[in-house]
Amino acid sequence: MRARDLAVEYESVRVDDDALEAARLMAEHQLPGLLVLDRNGEPKAILPASQVIKALVPGYVIEDPALAAVIDEKHADRLCEALRGRRVGDLLSDKAARPPIADPDDTALEVAALMAQARSPLVAVARRDKAGLYLLGVITASQLLHRLLGYAEPHE
Amino acid sequence: MSDWHSWAAIAVFVVAYVAIISERVHRTAAALGGAAVMLTIGATDDKAAFFDERSGIDWNVIFLLLGMMAIVGVLRQTGLFEYLAIWAVKRAHGKPFRVMTMLIVITATASALLDNVTTVLLVAPVTLLVCERLALPAAPFLIAEVMASNIGGTATLVGDPPNIIIASRGGLTFNDFLVHLAPIAVLLTAVLVLLCRVMFRKALVYDEDRATEVMALEEREAIRDHRLLYQGLAVLALVVVGFVAHPVLHYAPSVVALLGAGLLIAVSKVETGEALKEVEWPTLAFFAGLFIMVGSLIETGVIGEISRALADATGGSELGAVMLLLFGSAVLSGVVDNIPYVATMAPITADLAHGFGGGDGVHVLWWALALGADLGGNATAIGASANVVVLGIAERNRQPISFWQFTRYGLIVTAVTVVLSAGYLWLRYFALS
Repeated sequence: MRARDLAVEYESVRVDDDALEAARLMAEHQLPGLLVLDRNGEPKAILPASQVIKALVPGYVIEDPALAAVIDEKHADRLCEALRGRRVGDLLSDKAARPPIADPDDTALEVAALMAQARSPLVAVARRDKAGLYLLGVITASQLLHRLLGYAEPHE
Repeated sequence: MSDWHSWAAIAVFVVAYVAIISERVHRTAAALGGAAVMLTIGATDDKAAFFDERSGIDWNVIFLLLGMMAIVGVLRQTGLFEYLAIWAVKRAHGKPFRVMTMLIVITATASALLDNVTTVLLVAPVTLLVCERLALPAAPFLIAEVMASNIGGTATLVGDPPNIIIASRGGLTFNDFLVHLAPIAVLLTAVLVLLCRVMFRKALVYDEDRATEVMALEEREAIRDHRLLYQGLAVLALVVVGFVAHPVLHYAPSVVALLGAGLLIAVSKVETGEALKEVEWPTLAFFAGLFIMVGSLIETGVIGEISRALADATGGSELGAVMLLLFGSAVLSGVVDNIPYVATMAPITADLAHGFGGGDGVHVLWWALALGADLGGNATAIGASANVVVLGIAERNRQPISFWQFTRYGLIVTAVTVVLSAGYLWLRYFALS
């Protein structure tokens, strides 16, 4: 099983897209993260759902978690307003590395190793030529796990 | 001071000091590196560095800091400060100037017992929350609080690390600070409130609808562990009693703080390792390195020479020496960290106090040094560690405070508070004595 066989079409967003729309996309499709493309359409980063959640939490609560308890429910329900007017690029961590990119010919184990090394829920599969990167699809952690477990011997 | 040891010690001290000020090297590394070179070149030795009360590591300072850090580390977990801040803001009914006054008073009071950085770390996030609810800019409130913290810290022996050094080197007690510095600290806090009213008048706009948003905050939810809160408050009260009862009990402040920390760990469910994690070990190592470096200058006779030169410069005038120390310390503390500054000036001040016939114990020169060093920290954005910490919090919360935005208010507050302190010192120790 090669990466090209595992790759599926996956939701991606661009750095300049609206952050709130990206969060809605993630929530509606129950995605663990989104692939973020740069302005040239090349993979730029993975935006994990946890990063979006972090952006919803006010900075002062990150500084002092005890304050989460004092905020009333009415205001807690309005946390999504924190995303209004922000771009996807604003949500990316300063330390966000380029997404792990697998070669179409990589084996499932190579993809798993790449995913483990990058601690990413997604791996992009792309072909590189002189014109640049051509995205073929994405492999998710759950999809890879499903495929690997499918080949495992069940316990007696 | 003609031997090469003295000149080598001065060179090492200056290089390490520049490294600390420039922040190109971690201050602990710079201080320990300087101490290592001092020991290597023989400017001091192991006996002096580790066991000499005059020129060695001041273990009273190190262990007092350690004990207080452990106690405060446990108290931080209780949510007490968040509760107090929100309770006070609600009592102010969301009126901006009243809110600012409440936060200034709470910060100044807390800073008298806790170190300034811890205080602002606790108060700044609550302030951001309150300002968001009131739709007010957070910068004026944060600037006011950090200044209140530097002023409030002046009031007691444990309020600011420079005071701890001054107390130990000058043989001063907790009560000495309460009697001589607390009154002026209270007055300066009141003056700060008035200054803030004028400086930030445009930002203090009341909105009735927004004020109701503050009243919806649930401060009781901030208390995470009621049992730990009562235990922590009881131990803190005992520690303060231990400090105040020094004339009867004769326990050094370091011993009181260590006993308090030990008692709190023993009676609460907090693990020893967990409490010790809250101790800022790099800061303690920084102090140790600093004491060895300054001790080397004492051992080689450099401090003695500087003291004589300063005494000559003041022409034997005690008032002149007090004013020089007060204003000089305020200016220097505005641009350099006041901890190494006071560590260096403490033995010089001790020599000067002896020269004016003060001996060990209370002398107005110590109060001039404390007021100058503590209040000078307000002058610029880098004048005190608490200032730097608050600027960092503001930036992370997308309410940045620029260096000059802080400094233009800082210079006003420092000028007013230092001039008032000069008047206080003159009136109390010269005109009325």
